[in-house]
Amino acid sequence: MTDFTVMLVDDEEDFLETLAKRLAKRNLCVLKAGSGEAALETIRKTPVDVVALDVRMPGMDGIAVLKAIKAFDPAIEVVMLTGHASVEAAHEGIAQGAFDYLMKPVAIDDLLFKLQDAYKARTINLKRK
Amino acid sequence: MMGRIREYWNRLFFPSQPPLSEEAAEKLRVDFKDRYHHFKLLLSANKQALEKMAAIEGALRGESAFGMTFVRSTCTAIAASVLRMIRCMEVLAPEKYPELRQQFNAIQQQILKLLETSFRPHVDSALVVPLNVIDNTWREQAGGKMANLGELHGHTRMNIPDGFVITTAAYTRFMAHSGLQDEIDRLLQVADAEDTAGLMGMSSRIQQVVLKAPIPPDLASAIDLAWKALAARHGTGLRIALRSSSLFEDSEAVTFAGQFRTELNVSRDHLWESYREVVASKYSLQALTYRLRRGIRDEDLAVAVGAMVMVDAMTGGVAYSVSPVDPADRSIHIDAAWGLPKTIVDGSAAFDSFTVDRSPELRLAQQTVRHKKDLFVCNPEDGVCQMVAAGEMTDRPCLTPEQAVAVAKVTLDIEAHYNRPQDIEWALTADGGVTVLQCRPLSVAVLEDGGVQSAAAVAEAEVLLEGGVTASPGVGSGPVFLADRRADALTFPPGAVLVVRQAAPHWATLIGRASAVVSEQGGFAGHLANVAREFGVPALFGCPEAMARLGAAQEVTLDADRRKVYAGIIEGLQARPPKVVNPIIDSPVFQLLQKLDRLIVPLNLLDPTAREFHAQNCRTFHDITRFLHEKSVMEMFNFGKDHQFPERSSKQLFFEVPMQWWVLNLDDGFKEEVDGKYVRLENIASTPMLAFWEGFTAIPWAGPPPIDHRGLASVLFQSTANTALTTGRQSRYAEKNYFMISRHYCNLSSRLGYHFATLEALVSERAPENYITFQFKGGAADIERRLRRVHFIADLLENYAFRVTTREDHLTARIDNDDSAFMYERLKILGYFSLHTRQIDMVMKNNARVQALRDKMLADIDGELLASPSAPQHIGPDIS
Repeated sequence: MTDFTVMLVDDEEDFLETLAKRLAKRNLCVLKAGSGEAALETIRKTPVDVVALDVRMPGMDGIAVLKAIKAFDPAIEVVMLTGHASVEAAHEGIAQGAFDYLMKPVAIDDLLFKLQDAYKARTINLKRK
Repeated sequence: MMGRIREYWNRLFFPSQPPLSEEAAEKLRVDFKDRYHHFKLLLSANKQALEKMAAIEGALRGESAFGMTFVRSTCTAIAASVLRMIRCMEVLAPEKYPELRQQFNAIQQQILKLLETSFRPHVDSALVVPLNVIDNTWREQAGGKMANLGELHGHTRMNIPDGFVITTAAYTRFMAHSGLQDEIDRLLQVADAEDTAGLMGMSSRIQQVVLKAPIPPDLASAIDLAWKALAARHGTGLRIALRSSSLFEDSEAVTFAGQFRTELNVSRDHLWESYREVVASKYSLQALTYRLRRGIRDEDLAVAVGAMVMVDAMTGGVAYSVSPVDPADRSIHIDAAWGLPKTIVDGSAAFDSFTVDRSPELRLAQQTVRHKKDLFVCNPEDGVCQMVAAGEMTDRPCLTPEQAVAVAKVTLDIEAHYNRPQDIEWALTADGGVTVLQCRPLSVAVLEDGGVQSAAAVAEAEVLLEGGVTASPGVGSGPVFLADRRADALTFPPGAVLVVRQAAPHWATLIGRASAVVSEQGGFAGHLANVAREFGVPALFGCPEAMARLGAAQEVTLDADRRKVYAGIIEGLQARPPKVVNPIIDSPVFQLLQKLDRLIVPLNLLDPTAREFHAQNCRTFHDITRFLHEKSVMEMFNFGKDHQFPERSSKQLFFEVPMQWWVLNLDDGFKEEVDGKYVRLENIASTPMLAFWEGFTAIPWAGPPPIDHRGLASVLFQSTANTALTTGRQSRYAEKNYFMISRHYCNLSSRLGYHFATLEALVSERAPENYITFQFKGGAADIERRLRRVHFIADLLENYAFRVTTREDHLTARIDNDDSAFMYERLKILGYFSLHTRQIDMVMKNNARVQALRDKMLADIDGELLASPSAPQHIGPDIS
């Protein structure tokens, strides 16, 4: 799998740091954002392939960030992460165009595979255009 | 020949299908890629859904403790996977199965309804209610403990302490205030009853949060008012006891014995602090573990708190209206100590025991007076509770025969009122009156059928410890674990015999994993004894020197009924099965999961060739996943087969000669594209297919086994009777031997001999996604021979770690999540079986030949097949 750029968005700093380190070890280019607002600022400046997005954050919540990302560039794939086992959140995220939905705590490999699948979907979609 | 003419004909008369331009071909390639990608996503969602369904079944079998978090997150994960499969299918076959969304939504609605309605919102009511207006109808607001007590006072005029209840509505108010509940939910998300260290950290974090939370102003003023009313009756130096009272507490099925904190001798100044302490104890380690093991949801457990005037107790204790460990014993059992009964329920000090006969009249039948060197007192002056030396009272019985009978009488009155055995906590005041502090129904142990006991083995065994009190009946054995400090709980090995100094409630966290419990202190009336009985763990309490006489890691057997601990594991005693209880079977969460299970797990759509195999007949999530899996395979097959795209049409496999096998490349299954009619084996890149093929061709087939006369007749008869064998009623995919492949995927549908087999495998470096499923059905012989063959194959496959299920003559074998080398080996084995089980149904009635066949096959596999260097050579880096 070719390396690609993933942005992690989460307000829990420990979680963000650990995850970023572990994904970087697996040859991904990793960007971090501690809030939805920061995430949106980053994608305007830096090209991002896939976003791993926490649903529940203070300030702008995950669904709002998802909508904003998709409005900015629909080809960016978004994987939603949440600590809340809420079917509604899963539904809503997928309905709003999220690639998929993972529940925290998430195993690093599960997340990696999901990000890879999302990246693959993105490359196919880009080719179709 | 005919095919080629038709192709020519088509080109001549249907010019709309000219050879593809490079651009169009590229577009088609991307289309194929896209379809395959969605197909793969569908397969992976399918696997995830199946795994979660298996987790539900495991939970209902009692394999693990679970709470509401598990229920909720599992249902969500399954729904999300099913929805994902539906979306993938909508890409593969747009608008072809509109009913799927409807069926999904209908099932999902029912699931959401169950999840929501079973969470009863507690009807808003007063935040604080005086104890003397409460009775049993107040359970929801006042909790079980206070409702029981109020009921007694109102209906029997028995003495209970004056006081008020801070209701469950107040609790909900407190938890909602300042987002406390949200924060706790977040912390609770990862609770796992088996992970003591993790729970310990979580428990302390949550308790800290609760202890710091502000009391909402309306609640504060309501409590103030109630306090003033109480002070008007009892003076300004008033001291109270705060006791938790929750919805489930003190019902028969769920006792919650001692899991919550009780605060004694509380003054006005410490009221808020103590209220928070009691509420926070809902998240103490023992309460959390208990709740997880019993499957009680955090949100279902609203905690009311009773505030009662301190009773000036001369003597206090616990009384049982019958024996909790011996159903034949109907006398009243009383444990008593000087001062408040606290030391008895937390098993921390010595006490006296009294037995009172019920008939012909109440009479003290027996008393055991112990050396009670300390007594527990609460000093209303300085607000402190402590142990003080008992002085001259040390060896004196703390109840006179008359007092013991008075306590017994109250106990029987309560039993009569509730019409079932009771467990009460009481205090004797200076005026000789008995005040009831607590009462609840008593669960009485059910006697097991005694297994055969080897008297000889027991007679020879060395007795390490003898005496004490049977706190919970039964026999258990294992290595001794001496637990002294709380931190010892972290290293407790499952199945060990827990040995402690005091029968303190916090050891309850270990009960679910212990095979037996021995304590130096305590009796059957303590909290720990209650929990041991509830979980069916044998326990012997009140054995001085147990810690000294039993060595760490020494193997012992506790016979709690005979009150003996033997050295070693005694077979004869062991033969008596420990009482198997599913501790959560009667819990609200368990029952909820059972209802959800019915909407998720049962499979109604079994036969893809049946008319009923239709989207609108999907009644469960499993039906939907089964349907989608079947149809997605068909869609992939038909798209490749029907599409006018030579490089993706099906190719005949060429291995030395053209074989009767066709191959459809879904994505990257060939090393290079093939335009012609054949694909050579050397050009196959699909590692699972190659592994299968290796096994299929490794050892030549000896040909059909010579069949006995009856076997042949059976085949002939079935061939004429079963039209599926002769006519084309099956779908086209089933007609030939087809491989659908990509580099990491292989779906094989084959008709070998008279039976029908499908194999699906996904094997890559992503071990958690790897799986192999193998299905096998049919045969030409009569049903009995077919069944025998299915069982024959099932047995062989189980030898090689497959999980096999059979249903009539239909066999499904599955392997999940192992690394690729292991998976390739299993595929080779399946290849071998596919060839060598042909037509063996003919000989299935001849036991000697079956045995010989089995021996030969096992020898083949373990010898030649697996000895040869395994795994295809073509595993390269994943370039997909």
